[in-house]
Amino acid sequence: MLAIVKLIQSIVKALHSDGTPGQVAIGLALGAIIGLTPLMSLHNAVVFGLIIILNVSFPGALLGIAVFTPLAFLLDPLFDALGRLLLVGTPALTPLWTELYNTPVVPLTDFNNTVVLGSLVTALVLFVPLVLAARWGVARYRATVGERIRRSALYRTVTASKLYNVYRLFRPEA
Amino acid sequence: MGRIKIFRWKAIGPLLLFAVALVVLWWLFADRVARQTSEEVGTAILGARVDIDRLHIDLAGGRIEIRGLTVASPFEAFRNLLQADELVADIDVLPLLEKKVVIDRLAANGLRFGTTRTTSGLVPREGQAAATRSVGAQVAEWGERFRIPALQLAGGTIDVGQLDLRRLETVSAAEAVVTRADSSRTAWMAQLAGLDVRPRIDSARTLAERLKTARPTDLALINDARRQLDGLKQLEGQVSGLERAVRAGLDSLSAGVRGLEAARQRDYAFARSLVQLPSLDAPNLAAALFGTAAIRRFQRALYWAQLGREYLPPGLRPRETPAAKRLRRDGTDVRFPRERAYPGFLLREGELSLTLAAESNDPKSFSGRLEGLTSAPAVYGRPTTFSARGPAVTAGAVIDHVTATPRDSGGAEIGGMALPAITIPGLPLRLEPGRGTVGLSFALDGDRLRGAWRVRAPATSWVRDSAAPRGSDIQRLVERVLTGIDQIELAAELGGSLAAPRLSVRSNLDAVLSQRLAAVLGEEVATAERKLRAQVDSAVAPQLAAARQRLTALSDDAAQRLGVERTQLAEAEQLLEQQLRQVTRGIPGIRIP
Repeated sequence: MLAIVKLIQSIVKALHSDGTPGQVAIGLALGAIIGLTPLMSLHNAVVFGLIIILNVSFPGALLGIAVFTPLAFLLDPLFDALGRLLLVGTPALTPLWTELYNTPVVPLTDFNNTVVLGSLVTALVLFVPLVLAARWGVARYRATVGERIRRSALYRTVTASKLYNVYRLFRPEA
Repeated sequence: MGRIKIFRWKAIGPLLLFAVALVVLWWLFADRVARQTSEEVGTAILGARVDIDRLHIDLAGGRIEIRGLTVASPFEAFRNLLQADELVADIDVLPLLEKKVVIDRLAANGLRFGTTRTTSGLVPREGQAAATRSVGAQVAEWGERFRIPALQLAGGTIDVGQLDLRRLETVSAAEAVVTRADSSRTAWMAQLAGLDVRPRIDSARTLAERLKTARPTDLALINDARRQLDGLKQLEGQVSGLERAVRAGLDSLSAGVRGLEAARQRDYAFARSLVQLPSLDAPNLAAALFGTAAIRRFQRALYWAQLGREYLPPGLRPRETPAAKRLRRDGTDVRFPRERAYPGFLLREGELSLTLAAESNDPKSFSGRLEGLTSAPAVYGRPTTFSARGPAVTAGAVIDHVTATPRDSGGAEIGGMALPAITIPGLPLRLEPGRGTVGLSFALDGDRLRGAWRVRAPATSWVRDSAAPRGSDIQRLVERVLTGIDQIELAAELGGSLAAPRLSVRSNLDAVLSQRLAAVLGEEVATAERKLRAQVDSAVAPQLAAARQRLTALSDDAAQRLGVERTQLAEAEQLLEQQLRQVTRGIPGIRIP
């Protein structure tokens, strides 16, 4: 139940944050990378750093993580199969993987794990379509029902929570 | 509308704080995480509990220290494979960036083997890595391939019961020979009939008669006769071919009949085993007494060799291994070894200080050296070697997985120490060898096996299980003979291949026990054997006689039939040739060969 409340909170905050639709969309796409790929991976530290340092929507990123993490559990068999195809089933790529595997730091990303590689490739492939779709969606939302929601009791409840204060620290700068 | 800033500079502070928090977490928990991971991975790989009291990683100094390492035995619940007071590894830091562990030098102090433990160190199957589980199952199955004769002394008297005749090999083999003879006869006769010999002989004779009155100008008749002659020669070739086939078939059937004698010998042995008659030849006795103990030792050596092949595999091809457990699907890790790169794990050199029989009054200390232990032997390019030497102790091993065919060998000889007890299967006796010399060697070259286990103990004792029943007369005799022997010389040798291993065992007990048993039971045994042979003979004699008779009859019949056909064919051919020659005499251009 708490997870659902958090998810709603993320959605509301992301959609009504101060960022532009583009900032929300990029934040969401970056969050999707963290959500889709196994959390304890080196590349996720880099993505997390980018979310913090780049002027993208932090609630958007949290929304990406919240939405795509449960999805990732469902899609894991697919990621596993894709990763296996790339790592084992495509001999033409073996020299590339061999080079990367023997390059400092790269193996720390666990790229040679079927689930990690499959999910990371999926997240990267989805990155641009996700940015475009989210930017369009957020803009449409704000132009249509956004203002009505902003005046609703639910919105006031959400924005009154403590988490909102944390968000304010990372809200995008115009 | 103002230009949107790309960077959120005010977040640099929290980001640095986050990085500092990560460093603090590493400092606080790295040792603990590394210790727990090492325990988990070691336990999964070895198939037995691995415990570490303390592990400290000093990255700046390039050093890892392990204190209080305990590795349980995967074969005995309350025994450790080894314990180590302290392991200090000087590591190369740079390869860590490639997630590879390269240990330049390892100092292992206070390594003790075979110590007892208070809790079970065995790990359930689900706690073992899949490869380890598979090796364990393979080795257990391998042990069952040996047929160790058991001392069958339970009855106490020699009893010859009725044989189940349906299980005698000779009967079914003789029936098979008879069936084969019948079906061969049917097939040959059908082939002979298919050649249509008789009508063609008759036709040739008729043609020869017509040629007697023919003139040289009857060209149609002459051509007909020539075709007929060619046909007869061809037919003669076919009959010869059939004759060769019949001869080969008869040879095969004769071999089958000769094989019935070997089957009868096997039936004698089968009958003896059925009626629980103790076998008195010495190699069987040795195998019955010590075979199980020998196999257990070779099984352990094979387990380690196979585990080595699993985790230190040859070759440079990408290698799949199950990934570490996580909340999400684990997936599979694929390793991509490459020449002139660091292997995933490498121990260049290890100095070991070892102690045997650490819990006894007379522990044996010695030193050893381990070189080139690596998870990718083809990358490292040299075999792993181990050697140890000390007072009355020599040990060595070579793990050569550099080439496509892995070769593993190892051996040790230890003298002057208390040897572990040996339980004698089928008897309530335990052999306590006392102090002596024990040697074990094992080699696995590809899938070829070679091994030896030797025990020399000059002052042995025998301990009887006090709760065991008194046993039969024969059992008491065997016990009396064995307990009268106070020195043991035992040698078990392993050979063959993984799929078909061979074990031979001999000991100084064999001859003594065999002679004593033969002296006491000799006459009774001989009578029982005669009775058994008579039973087997009476059961198999009719089938044997039938098979021999059928072979003789078939041989005669086939020879006669084929002989007659060939003779008549030759006569008809000769007759036709003669007549054709007479008709064509004087016609230029026509030659009868």
